[in-house]
Amino acid sequence: MQDKANPLNKMSEDKQSFAEKYRIKSYSELIGQSKAVEVIKKFLNEFPKKRGLILHGPAGTGKTSLVISASKENNLEILELNSSDLRNRAQLEERLKPATQQQSLFKKGKILLMDEVDGVTGTDRGGIPELVKLINSTKYPIIMTCNDVWQSKLSPVRAKSTLVEMKPLNVGLVVSLLKKIAEKENINENIYFLNQIAIKSQGDVRAALNDLQSHSQGKDILEVDTKEKRDVEENIFNILRKLFKERSDSRKLFDKSALSLDEILLWIEENIPKEYKNEVLARAYYALGNADVFRGRIYKNQSWRFLLYQSIFQSAGITYAKPNPLPGFTKYDRPKRILKIWINNQKIAKKKTISKKFARLVHCSTKRAMRDFSILKPILLNPNVQQELQLSDEERDFLQK
Amino acid sequence: MSQTDIWTERYRPAKFDEMVGQQEILKRVKSLVQAMNIPHLLFAGPAGIGKSTLALIIVKALFGESWKDNYLELNASDERGIDVVRQKVKDFARTKAISNVPFKVIFLDEADALTKEAQQALRRTMENYTNTCRFIMSCNYSSRIIDPIQSRCVVFRFKLLEKKDIREVLNRIAEKENLTISEDAFDILYEGSEGDCRRAINLLQATASISLNINQEMVNMILSTTKPKDIRVVLDYALAGDFVNARDKLLDVMLKESVSGTDMIKAIQKEIWNLDIEPEIKVKLTEKTGETEFRMIEGSDEFVQLQSLLASFVLAGQGKPA
Repeated sequence: MQDKANPLNKMSEDKQSFAEKYRIKSYSELIGQSKAVEVIKKFLNEFPKKRGLILHGPAGTGKTSLVISASKENNLEILELNSSDLRNRAQLEERLKPATQQQSLFKKGKILLMDEVDGVTGTDRGGIPELVKLINSTKYPIIMTCNDVWQSKLSPVRAKSTLVEMKPLNVGLVVSLLKKIAEKENINENIYFLNQIAIKSQGDVRAALNDLQSHSQGKDILEVDTKEKRDVEENIFNILRKLFKERSDSRKLFDKSALSLDEILLWIEENIPKEYKNEVLARAYYALGNADVFRGRIYKNQSWRFLLYQSIFQSAGITYAKPNPLPGFTKYDRPKRILKIWINNQKIAKKKTISKKFARLVHCSTKRAMRDFSILKPILLNPNVQQELQLSDEERDFLQK
Repeated sequence: MSQTDIWTERYRPAKFDEMVGQQEILKRVKSLVQAMNIPHLLFAGPAGIGKSTLALIIVKALFGESWKDNYLELNASDERGIDVVRQKVKDFARTKAISNVPFKVIFLDEADALTKEAQQALRRTMENYTNTCRFIMSCNYSSRIIDPIQSRCVVFRFKLLEKKDIREVLNRIAEKENLTISEDAFDILYEGSEGDCRRAINLLQATASISLNINQEMVNMILSTTKPKDIRVVLDYALAGDFVNARDKLLDVMLKESVSGTDMIKAIQKEIWNLDIEPEIKVKLTEKTGETEFRMIEGSDEFVQLQSLLASFVLAGQGKPA
């Protein structure tokens, strides 16, 4: 294992990553985001009608690529800022002010690119108001990118900017892109494998390209069925029905889904007890548990080969948990767990802030303080301790309850 | 002693000879510190056995009064991710130490909570700033620390404190705070602490907030608030074959009381032996429980694994082995 890994690492360090090598240079190369291209064109043409533009969407959907191609198409220079430059108001001002007022030396104009503005909010006090001020006064278009544009801290920026949503690419587009690049790189991957990479990427092109690169360089190409199947998006309910009701080979069942294996795992987890009882139930969860173990190993060691095992355990493992096909119609539920966790987190927010203050004082993690919260509670009720922790009135009230 | 009303802090040892347990490690660390030069250190071992305390003792011994200026403490489980390593660590590491010692010290607590990527970034930082900065890292499981980091550190494996060690710590505090601890109360305190000295002290302080004469019932009263409630309800649902309710209740308990999966497993493991099922099946369930706990530690999803375990309880309820 060690022997194999070393030359592999070396190669990826020496070589440029596919994601950089094939970064697009013009609007026409950008796949699946024609709407976004229209908006950005209009924005640049009509500038300074609106001075700021926010590209938002998940990772690897082409936000940065779109800005780069916009600059190339319009012969503009990009001045890039990242959130670490913007620790505070003064730094932001210092760095941005001259830039917004100088003429670029060699080119006609500039685009100010501020990547990941969601990163500005947390630690950079004053960063957001300063950004708004600059959007108001800039002589050059400011383009910002972020994953989640709807967080409340961004609302002043939102109000000043044109919003462009970058949607995750569908599997078909990712596959065709992978195919093109595989050809150029002389990588001999079969279509099923490319499909797997594309599905796993959940529309994140960068992730898909990275996977393609690491697999091709590792030469551990998955030996899989080469039968081409049409990339039909089958909805998850049909998939679940086949999985739970039938007793036929289900190993390829998930290839057609737009959901990732991990998302499908949550759906299966939620719905097993609707179909299976007793021994069958236990066998199915045993298989799902195994799938999850491999999922964990994939994340831990980045051993994407294990995807194969996860996939088989959560398909065939579930299908063949039952001795016979099941009759009837079953209404399946959406996975509820994630939502429940989220709701709960809102409820225990105070507990968390108190634990955080306590943890900082006693050299332990917030998590540990929360775990032992019921032991700590009598201690936290001590007024001196409350003073020491500088608890807010709300936090004191929470403890009284 | 510092002026705090939190006992874990008020009675935290500040010098090598105040520490309890870990005598072998102390000897070696002491000689490193006396040379006024330490390598990067990795402290591995369970919670509450002196890892953070020893780190603090080291910096106080190295820097004396100015230790606070030359020391940065980060808890990786609170601030995980690559940004922390890039920003805080770098910012701190790149400036020179303000003392006779030519380096600063960063204590990275619970370093095993850092993602792989963050650990990779950390490894570069360790190399780049090794002249100006030494790292002390702590972790529960050294297997979760990537090899390149381990190979850059001197690794110390801390042992669980013995009963007599915890007793000594608690007795010292009792003397200062004018407490009396009955013999059986002490046993319960030790048991409830699970060998975690911080927890033992917290338990003692929580109990002392009721009365200065600590007895068994009072400790039990505080402890009963810590056990995941209704764990028995979860298992009873499962044994009766009602998987859906068992699972809903399980998630409920875990969320409401912020119980982690591994704590849940510990509670289940204990409860198995109170259940009304055949002893052979209890053994089987224990086997499955152990496997579940192992999987969680290795990075599996807690809730998926717990459901798989609950499904085995459904079978156990029907008299079948898991």
